[in-house]
Amino acid sequence: MGSSIKVYIARRLLLVIPTLIGVTLLIFAVTQLFDPVQRASLYVRDPRQMGAVNEIIAKYGLDRPAYMQYFSWLNEVIQGNLGWSQSLHMPVLNALLTRFSATAELAIFAAPITIFVGIYLGKISAVKKDTLVDHATRALSVIGWSLPSFWLGIVLLAFFYGGLGIFSPGRLSPWAEALVRTGEFKVYTGLYTVDSILNLNGAVLLDALSHLVLPVITLTIINVALIMRVMRSSMLEQLGKTYVLSARARGLDEKTVINKHVTKNALISVVTLSGLLTAGMLSGMVITETIFEFKGIGYFAAHAATQLDIPAVLGFALLTGLIFVIANLIVDLLYAYIDPRIRLG
Amino acid sequence: MMSKTKFWSAENPRIKELVFVLKKMRSSPLSIVGLSIVVFFTILAILAPVLAPPQTDRDPYIMPRTGYSPTPKPPSSENIFGTTEGQYDLYYGVIWGARAAYRIGLLVVAVSAIIGIVVGGLAGYYKGVIDEVLMRLTDIILAFPGLILAMAFVVAFGRGLDSITLALILVWWPSYARLIRGEFLRVTAEDFVEAAKAVGCSDLRIMLRHVLPNTIFPMIIMASLDIGSVTLTAAALSFLGLGAPAGYSDWGQIISLSRNWITGVPGNPFAYWHAYIIPGIFLFLFVIGWNLLGDALRDILDPMIRRR
Amino acid sequence: MLTMTLAENEQLKVEDLIVRFYTYEGIVKAVEKANLNLRKGETLGVVGETGSGKSVTALTIMALTPTPGKVEGGHIYFRRSTGEIVDVLTLKEEGLLKIRGKEISMIFQEPNAALDPLYTVGDQIAEAILTHRLPEMLEKVGRLEGEETKGLWAFLEKLPVFKGSIKKRLLNEVVRQEIVELLKLMEIPDPERVVDAYPHELSGGMQQRIVIAIALACSPTLLLADEPTTNLDVTVQAQILDLIMRLKRKFGTSVIYITHDMGVIAEISDRVAVMYAGRVVEVAPTMEIFKNPLHPYTRALLESIPRPGLSFKAIPGTVPNLVNPPSGCRFHPRCSYAMERCSRETPELREISKEHLVACFLHGGA
Repeated sequence: MGSSIKVYIARRLLLVIPTLIGVTLLIFAVTQLFDPVQRASLYVRDPRQMGAVNEIIAKYGLDRPAYMQYFSWLNEVIQGNLGWSQSLHMPVLNALLTRFSATAELAIFAAPITIFVGIYLGKISAVKKDTLVDHATRALSVIGWSLPSFWLGIVLLAFFYGGLGIFSPGRLSPWAEALVRTGEFKVYTGLYTVDSILNLNGAVLLDALSHLVLPVITLTIINVALIMRVMRSSMLEQLGKTYVLSARARGLDEKTVINKHVTKNALISVVTLSGLLTAGMLSGMVITETIFEFKGIGYFAAHAATQLDIPAVLGFALLTGLIFVIANLIVDLLYAYIDPRIRLG
Repeated sequence: MMSKTKFWSAENPRIKELVFVLKKMRSSPLSIVGLSIVVFFTILAILAPVLAPPQTDRDPYIMPRTGYSPTPKPPSSENIFGTTEGQYDLYYGVIWGARAAYRIGLLVVAVSAIIGIVVGGLAGYYKGVIDEVLMRLTDIILAFPGLILAMAFVVAFGRGLDSITLALILVWWPSYARLIRGEFLRVTAEDFVEAAKAVGCSDLRIMLRHVLPNTIFPMIIMASLDIGSVTLTAAALSFLGLGAPAGYSDWGQIISLSRNWITGVPGNPFAYWHAYIIPGIFLFLFVIGWNLLGDALRDILDPMIRRR
Repeated sequence: MLTMTLAENEQLKVEDLIVRFYTYEGIVKAVEKANLNLRKGETLGVVGETGSGKSVTALTIMALTPTPGKVEGGHIYFRRSTGEIVDVLTLKEEGLLKIRGKEISMIFQEPNAALDPLYTVGDQIAEAILTHRLPEMLEKVGRLEGEETKGLWAFLEKLPVFKGSIKKRLLNEVVRQEIVELLKLMEIPDPERVVDAYPHELSGGMQQRIVIAIALACSPTLLLADEPTTNLDVTVQAQILDLIMRLKRKFGTSVIYITHDMGVIAEISDRVAVMYAGRVVEVAPTMEIFKNPLHPYTRALLESIPRPGLSFKAIPGTVPNLVNPPSGCRFHPRCSYAMERCSRETPELREISKEHLVACFLHGGA
């Protein structure tokens, strides 16, 4: 590894700190929109403390100037105290941690599918530019992008669940839920698909997968346009470059030129977007989870918002910010690995 | 030396560009579709009081009710599109919904653009510390997914359409700021700004007369693409119950009223199809119309921007 | 039938080539009945301003006309190494793939842009070798294989997973050796290290040597050089020019050298073709063209070369709009000798004296 890449990585890692601070500052700024009594709920770990509001205000200095509050608040956050969620009757941190596995499961299926389908559609629509295939793919992607996600979910549910009786909302059917509740089915990761493999239970695996079908389809239809669009323009950009002409002049057939040279170069631009998309999915797909009653952090956040449960919503926002910062970091580091111009300086 | 051609004459390069844009649009079927849809909804919104006359003295955006029963009724002679849960008239709701959509969409985009111009302009023109600070701020806001940040704001401001509007403005202005800043940086690097300075033009004058007009095209593209996204996000927030109250003519809100009825009745799963299909189609068409228009504008204007 | 189209010593003939570009602004008539011929082993310099159609013509010789261009007429007769004469414009993709990189090669103006940044230069040269010289390489592998009967590898080869891996490894070695030899021929120092380098790690001059290496890897009969030294430093320019000429002599390659630099033309070409606005207006041996330029454009070109002590004489007017080109002779609006006839009729390329062709009504061409 050249020295310049070490500098690049070091600089990139260091940049995370001010960005994280920025994220916390923004959330903190939002907390300042509330009065001290409301803000007190951000600092409590259990409901019994809620009675002693004045003590909390005194302890954390909630009536003192903002900058002092920031540090005491930040201190609590770092220790894991994100407050108490009224709507769920548990500490916010616990709520987020227990529900994260559901969101992760959805993201693990939805993100790769969306990315691969998007890359494939972008590629063929660029290679066959201005043909029927191109126009059709672009039309479909605009349609997908314009669909309200909650409406698509409802329509799909109405048709499949209402009409055909398959693909019910939720993560598992009632009988499988019972298995989990009674402990017959051991939960290791919280991802029911993985756990059912570990439990060697094919029936639960199928059940979990069937509940993933509609949410994943919804997410894919809506988000594929993003990836497709970038991949298409990236490929078109590469196709105009001289090294493509040079490759053709070498006598390479079109397939090799496209697959070996053009696609690889085009994918570089797509990496960032894919990373952001995955981060977005890991941040909880609020609408999709709500419609399909998929109890992940997005579902939790929506529920909390309607109850005006401040600590829950803010805790959720904070987690989201954190996920995005980490995702951006990973993407940048990935670039360093993929692109020899960065890797070798 | 600025030429003194009249604005509306055929010689004005702006008019020439406008004519060129319109001609190009004619050749692409998708852009014609987009334009038609947008025109349709604009007319719908403007003529709402005529097409669906308000029946009470209260807020015209509240849909009239023909009863209080929770079960939605299918289309009939009394209610052309049927009723929602709670017997609100769907026809009234979707028409005034167009008006509501424009109200939020245009307001959010316009105010975001103005804030973006000011912030981005300052950052791009003066550069240095001001630029750094402002850009860090936009970075942080842009680090969050729009819906989630908007939710956080709405929880702080309280429920309601005004809260949503304000929240969305706070979420959306950074992308305009970045755009304007980028354009300012690009334009101030060009020679004619140096020349203007040398002649003695004041900073403000340079910004308004020389730099700003060049940023119009990218802004138009972003704005037309944004109206769709803003409308979707606003609808999502209303759907979640954070926006318009029940009974308000807001497409997202109306769709949320249909949630309990998507399985229909035993024997007829689609008995209440009108409750979610009709408002959904209006919302979808509105968004896709603006997205197609925005795409078309981008396809046409982008090469022109580059050629400059 | 086609055997009649090329003379015994001719390598390539471009006949009445028409190429048009269909763009938003209109139909660009980039090449309008261009005629060129190339003899075996000679260097033909093609000179002209931007927009003269020289690059498009060169690309079309390989049937790589850039979109949205379309060939709308003419023939490009090429003598293959087998002796067979083909019209490149009638060949299908299959046939073209056998010619590109193997019998006709091209080097480009910007060496950095001509190399894929994601692959090592060795990989990219290997592509040319493996596409066209695979049997030769495999034969070498075969000879080496016989020696590798002992040791761990021979044992592993018997297992299904590793089957063929010896062959692959040997092939890599053989090709790598070939590449190193090629780099040495290109006078690249430290070739073993350069093979594994990425394009951005090399200087402009080195990159261009790599591009030339790729082009010459399969000993083509025709090399198309599109302004290969224009973007390089002056000192490097001379080195690369020198290299190209030496290699050309060594391999016996015919070269079409495109440039706008009359100095380079003077130095390396045997014959010169002058192009203007999509047409070839004059062809002559180099000495002849400098001594006795006949076409007004050629004259103006030569006079516009800045020389110390003499006043600078630019050609009046601008390059014509190729969507609506001037009628008749395309140069007539800028020509000091234009006659009334020049705006009505287009002169054909005529042989005026030995080996000297002009398309101008001043010199016959009726």
